[in-house]
Amino acid sequence: MNLPALRLVEDRDRNRNGAPVSVRELSVAFGQNQVLDRLSLHIEPGEFVAIVGRSGCGKSTLLRAIMGLVQPGGGSIDVDLDAARLVFQEPRLLPWASVRENVAVGAPAGLDAAERDRLVDARLAEVGLADKAEQWPAALSGGQRQRVALARALISQPRLLALDEPLGALDALTRIEMQALVETVWTSEGFSALLVTHDVAEAVALADRVVVMEAGRIALDLPIAVPRPRRHGDAELAALEGLILDRLLGR
Amino acid sequence: MTRAAGWKESPLVPAIVPVGLLVVWQLASTTGLLPSQILPAPTAVVKAAAELTADGELIHHLAVSTARALTGLVVGGSISFVLGLLCGLSPFARRLLDPTLQMVRTIPHLALLPLVILWFGIGEQAKILLVAWGIFFPIYLNTYHGVVSVDPQLIEMGRVYGMKRWELFRRIIFPGALPSILVGLRFGLGIMWLTLIVAETIAASSGIGYMATQAREFSQTDIIVLAIFVYAGLGKLADSLTRALEHRLLRWNPAYARA
Repeated sequence: MNLPALRLVEDRDRNRNGAPVSVRELSVAFGQNQVLDRLSLHIEPGEFVAIVGRSGCGKSTLLRAIMGLVQPGGGSIDVDLDAARLVFQEPRLLPWASVRENVAVGAPAGLDAAERDRLVDARLAEVGLADKAEQWPAALSGGQRQRVALARALISQPRLLALDEPLGALDALTRIEMQALVETVWTSEGFSALLVTHDVAEAVALADRVVVMEAGRIALDLPIAVPRPRRHGDAELAALEGLILDRLLGR
Repeated sequence: MTRAAGWKESPLVPAIVPVGLLVVWQLASTTGLLPSQILPAPTAVVKAAAELTADGELIHHLAVSTARALTGLVVGGSISFVLGLLCGLSPFARRLLDPTLQMVRTIPHLALLPLVILWFGIGEQAKILLVAWGIFFPIYLNTYHGVVSVDPQLIEMGRVYGMKRWELFRRIIFPGALPSILVGLRFGLGIMWLTLIVAETIAASSGIGYMATQAREFSQTDIIVLAIFVYAGLGKLADSLTRALEHRLLRWNPAYARA
């Protein structure tokens, strides 16, 4: 297998740092509305899976069910929630807490203050906000707030990182920067990643595998065997993006 | 043009109207245009203040009134705060208590005055009960409202990030409800002084309101006006303290950050 330079973590480390996810025959209904219909999905340790689909196809519900926020109506989900972290669509920072305190929300329990501060500083440096630790969230831009949310998710060294359209509200340039950041941390930490997005280009740029959902089921499961680092506008990626868009648009 | 704009920017501009009014008032009094039985001269009020301070009477009444206000605040404020939190946090407590409290709220608390005098005479309990009652609803309503309107997305985040009940309350629900709770406190303090004025004027043997009632018996308008100014000053002091508290506790919020 071809291992590009960016892939710092060996595959055997991926198995240790990444947690597997197994979803079998999962069904979820809200009242009369069948949102997920006997859906099965397996994520290998350290794998980066992106889920795309139209609004209302059930992609966010699938992610929320995996994270234990939605009660399944049938089927099974096999995931270690203690090792999983979720990044929401909104930053959801505590406005009355400093950036430092917000990142510390995600820190493992039972650390002494000095150790926690050290971890927070390391994570803030990783997301490029080392100088913002004492700021209020209100003083940050939208992209910076989402970086703080990412640092908060990473501080406990999760083995599964679930991302629920985390870049949806950002402007185009900030998005591309954030995508690069997500890829960098995934590469260096080796966690499994599950990204829900409505942006097909984003899914193709980041994921090892893109899962296309339609009406609560998986319509397409497409490996993206393009070596990293990937370049925006790469022809191979564009072809894959076209393939997925055709499927979504029913052409 | 620049000269005109210069003095208009002066920090003294807001003082022009009140100082002007004082001067007009003083002139009207000294020329006899305003008889002292209607309104004493500002200098007479200052003189009364100095005399009453010197013989300790003003301090005594002030201490009595402040003690009543604070006792009522602590009693009424703590009960309403706890009930507001309870009804905000627990749907069962809300169903059990809120309809009754909303019903009781429609009673104007000063309407209880005759009954309260009948129960307690002009003792301290009467005033403290009325003050506590007056403070109760602004703090209850705003605490309750603050708790139920905390952003549910933040609460979900707290749960996902492993916060247990107490931590969820301490780190998300309470700070989220705090702006509303402080609004309740400000309203409550306004009602607190108003209640005390009425209660002390009608049923008391000490306090600023009693001092004013006594002065009326002897047509001492200077003391009556002094009492009014003392009440105004106390109200302003309470309001300034809460605002300082808001600036301190809500400094994370751009709307409260000191300009």
